[in-house]
Amino acid sequence: MKREDTIEIRWHGRGGQGAVTSAELTALSAIHENKFAQAFPSFGPERRGAPVLAFNRISAEHPIRVRSSVIKPDIVVVLDPGLVTLINVVDGLKPGGWLIVNSTRSIDDLQSEFSGDWKLAVVDASSIARELLRVNIVNTTMLGALIKTTGVINIDSLKEQLEVKFGARAKANLEACRKAFATTVISSIKTGGQKKVRTFAVENLAKWSELPVGCVVTDVGNTKQFCTGDWKAQHPVWNDSKCIKCGICSLFCPEFCISQQKDGYFRANEFYCKGCGICAQECWTQCITMVEEA
Amino acid sequence: MTAKRIGIESSLAVAEAVRLANVDVIAAYPITPQTHIVEGLAEMVANGHLDAEYIPVESEHSAMSSCLGASAVGARAFTATASQGLILMHEVLLVAASLRLPVVMAVTNRALSGPLNIWGDHSDVMIARDAGWIQIFAENGQQAFDQTLCAFRIAEHQDVLLPVIINFDGFHVSHVIEPMHFLDQKTVDEFLPPYRHPHALDPDKPVTMGGFAMPNMYTEGRKSLDTALRESKKVILDTWKQFGDIAGRYYKPVEKYQAENADTLLVTVGSYSENAMDAVDKMQAEGKKVGLVRVRLWRPFPYKEIIEALSGATNVIVLDRAISLGGPAPVCSEIRAALYSLKDRPQVVSIVGGLGGRDISPANFEKLIATALDKIKTGDAAETIMFGVRE
Amino acid sequence: METLSIYAPKLITSREYIASGHRACSGCGEVLAMRYVCKALGRNTIISNATGCMEIISTPLPQTAWEVPWIHTLFENASAVASGIECGLKALKRKHGYTREVKVVAMGGDGATADIGLQSLSGAMERGHDFIYVCYDNEAYMNTGIQRSSETPFGASTTTAPSGKASMGQHTWQKNMAAIAAAHEIQYVATSCSSYPFDIMTKVEKAIKIKGPSYIHILSVCPTGWRCPSNSTIKMGRLAVETGIFPMYEIENGKYTLNIDLPKLRPVEDYLKLQGRFRHLDKDNTAEIQEKVLDEYNKVKRLAAGNKAK
Ligand SMILES: Cc1ncc(C[n+]2csc(CCOP(=O)(O)OP(=O)(O)O)c2C)c(N)n1
Ligand code: SF4
Ligand code: SF4
Ligand code: SF4
Ligand SMILES: [Mg+2]
Repeated sequence: MKREDTIEIRWHGRGGQGAVTSAELTALSAIHENKFAQAFPSFGPERRGAPVLAFNRISAEHPIRVRSSVIKPDIVVVLDPGLVTLINVVDGLKPGGWLIVNSTRSIDDLQSEFSGDWKLAVVDASSIARELLRVNIVNTTMLGALIKTTGVINIDSLKEQLEVKFGARAKANLEACRKAFATTVISSIKTGGQKKVRTFAVENLAKWSELPVGCVVTDVGNTKQFCTGDWKAQHPVWNDSKCIKCGICSLFCPEFCISQQKDGYFRANEFYCKGCGICAQECWTQCITMVEEA
Repeated sequence: MTAKRIGIESSLAVAEAVRLANVDVIAAYPITPQTHIVEGLAEMVANGHLDAEYIPVESEHSAMSSCLGASAVGARAFTATASQGLILMHEVLLVAASLRLPVVMAVTNRALSGPLNIWGDHSDVMIARDAGWIQIFAENGQQAFDQTLCAFRIAEHQDVLLPVIINFDGFHVSHVIEPMHFLDQKTVDEFLPPYRHPHALDPDKPVTMGGFAMPNMYTEGRKSLDTALRESKKVILDTWKQFGDIAGRYYKPVEKYQAENADTLLVTVGSYSENAMDAVDKMQAEGKKVGLVRVRLWRPFPYKEIIEALSGATNVIVLDRAISLGGPAPVCSEIRAALYSLKDRPQVVSIVGGLGGRDISPANFEKLIATALDKIKTGDAAETIMFGVRE
Repeated sequence: METLSIYAPKLITSREYIASGHRACSGCGEVLAMRYVCKALGRNTIISNATGCMEIISTPLPQTAWEVPWIHTLFENASAVASGIECGLKALKRKHGYTREVKVVAMGGDGATADIGLQSLSGAMERGHDFIYVCYDNEAYMNTGIQRSSETPFGASTTTAPSGKASMGQHTWQKNMAAIAAAHEIQYVATSCSSYPFDIMTKVEKAIKIKGPSYIHILSVCPTGWRCPSNSTIKMGRLAVETGIFPMYEIENGKYTLNIDLPKLRPVEDYLKLQGRFRHLDKDNTAEIQEKVLDEYNKVKRLAAGNKAK
């Protein structure tokens, strides 16, 4: 049983964006404040770009014994703006809980999609990170928004953890945190809006008695059913007027997802494109541009 | 049908069984006391008596890996090993079972280092207990020959498709010349249908073998393997029956010797069983109510037969030829567990003996039984007794 | 680009033997290399794959990206499994009427090849099995999170040989796997790189024709482990070749041919400075690397010029 005072946080990010670091810093700060806390990743083979999860449990009073996944979080933090339309980030979010999102969109705009009986907070962490850290890695910036909205940890204890972890780079990270703290916009509960998220078909996995001998897979090439298009933070856009139809883009795509259309021009299959940007980089005539996902 | 009686070393008899099984691939690495088997096979291949690919691999890990590769394309594969070789193979053993590749392996049981010791002991195979292989013990050369033939039929049966280990003691069986009966080729061909794997690797029907399982798949994978192993018993019993019908030699998962009316039953595994028989005969002649129960089928564990054989006794003495350092001896702990659910259960004493080739003669068996019964009398039977150790 | 016409991609078969939907990192060069290898191999192939990135990203049960027969058992035994497959097929042909001509291919990462699986590879090459071994060298154990291997370059920072106040990271030079393979006196050894699809495919096609073992070592750019942007994968491979850091050559029956012989090599700095794993290196380190790279490059060049090095 989860103790009443335990706060559970679920972090949504992409492999390589540092959601795990966010969770770690949160737990270390809480522990520093003499609280009890846990941080753990979702253990899986997810690679750079794939949607990943990280979790926290924090309690001021009680040692934390539960080690299961967080199913009903009090707080959900979304590091990647693209994820809110891809994944049901509010899945299991408790009534009265917090949804904290990195997005350039206005809070009203977001609320028209994400309203429910939870509170919403928005910060443009990507811009802050790009400005102050000169990379679009928002794992520390978003901690500022977490602190502002929920106060589960305080900024002084975070400061020490940043110093331990980042040394000389701690200062800039802290600054980004503070800026996020100052610019996070908060709304109260507003129910009734439409929730526009993709719903995933529950994977219909075989019963043990249905498994083929030796767990072989006979339906070869069936990863084709799997959408890796979720992984991308940007997608390629073609300007056909410059295209010489050489096929280089297709040759170098690691998802094997660029093919020639009937009209002779090339396009990516968005269902698989992970947004690596190789096609744009390698196109001789530079007719491909990478465009950020909405 | 049954060929004439001949004298031959047990290891070479096993090689002959492998030849009769018309095996396709042998991948092996030498280790005492197994080496005579694979030398015998190499000679057969070199002389053209056996048409097989012989892969003289650079390690036992590769021996088993090569057997997996061969078996995965639908070729019948055999290897033999012991002791350190079996331990080095260990990682691969588990995959053979989980991929359901019916490799057959002879293990001439030998002690584990250290200290280095090349003689008979079951510690090597007891560590492989949980690897998912069918495991059968042979007590003499004839049984080793018979069980090797049966092993291919059991392993490759479409309801089984699991690898099989035939265990027999290093030196005490492997290097002993004994009288035996072989089967002729025609009889073997009728007994042993050709091997076919339903998902053999073949460009005409591509499959993926050996994908990885997340937590949402692994349990189902293990359940399916565990069930296949448990249910293989049906095929094992059926195979032994058929084999008996053609060879006149019948085998059972648990075999009793002079066990009716005995109130003390000694349980043995492997070649010592024959020494124990002599001891039992002598003790019974002296009016002692002592009998013998031998475990032949070790995996899948024959719960039903164990309970049936032992539940009527007052005292059960289990002799393990393996030590589980710091814990209960393996065969005894499983037998104890199997009997525990009975309301009236016998007292069970655990004895470890015969390690690293140390002999237990028939006379020593009498002593061993007496020691065990003493322990029961004094209510001191919880801990494993080490027999024959210099104190 | 390679020295072929820019319209050459059209000449490559559009048939894929690995499906999209695999789970490799965005921008993975290793999966690209594997794609080209498989295109050249075609469907009459059986693959024995070692544990590592390529195995994990392609076969999450109950899915598989593979469309040719494929088996994975363990990390260090791909060559031994391939040995068994090859002999099994031989026996099936001789004894049981199997007729298809199948090329057996073992593949693995640099860890699976140069470290833990070196023994089984050496055994299989020495025994002369008819198979191709392909090493996808991304210069570390990437599947487990960027630990050093014997192929990690001098100066690179990895999680088990990190740079720090007291260390510059990897302080050993890479194991020369091509030379080790060649020392087994096999007929065909080649090096290639994930940014050179035609080179990879030509070499695989050559290897298919060899009866006996052949070995192809492919430098495979890993943006995750090398800490470089995912769109720089192809560029990074080219720089490795153009700086001479990774010479592309063949050893046919012991004779070296340098496939891309550049009149002038680019400075190694052009390559090093773009990757996070080398970020900590100072001028002296870079100079040391530059010197070694030229040495090694010239060694290959001399060998290619007819073993004048003797
Ligand atoms: C016997 C054994 N030891 C360790 C591992 C853990 N392991 C799995 S893959 C891997 C590294 C693979 O590195 P490499 O061969 O270079 O392939 P990459 O992932 O880089 O493509 C390790 C250490 C294992 N699976 N088996
Ligand atoms: S690489 Fe550029 S020019 Fe060539 S086909 Fe692709 S888009 Fe067209
Ligand atoms: S960005 Fe281009 S190269 Fe990369 S996955 Fe998408 S289509 Fe393929
Ligand atoms: S870690 Fe490197 S080699 Fe492995 S999948 Fe990612 S990019 Fe490819
Ligand atoms: Mg590697």
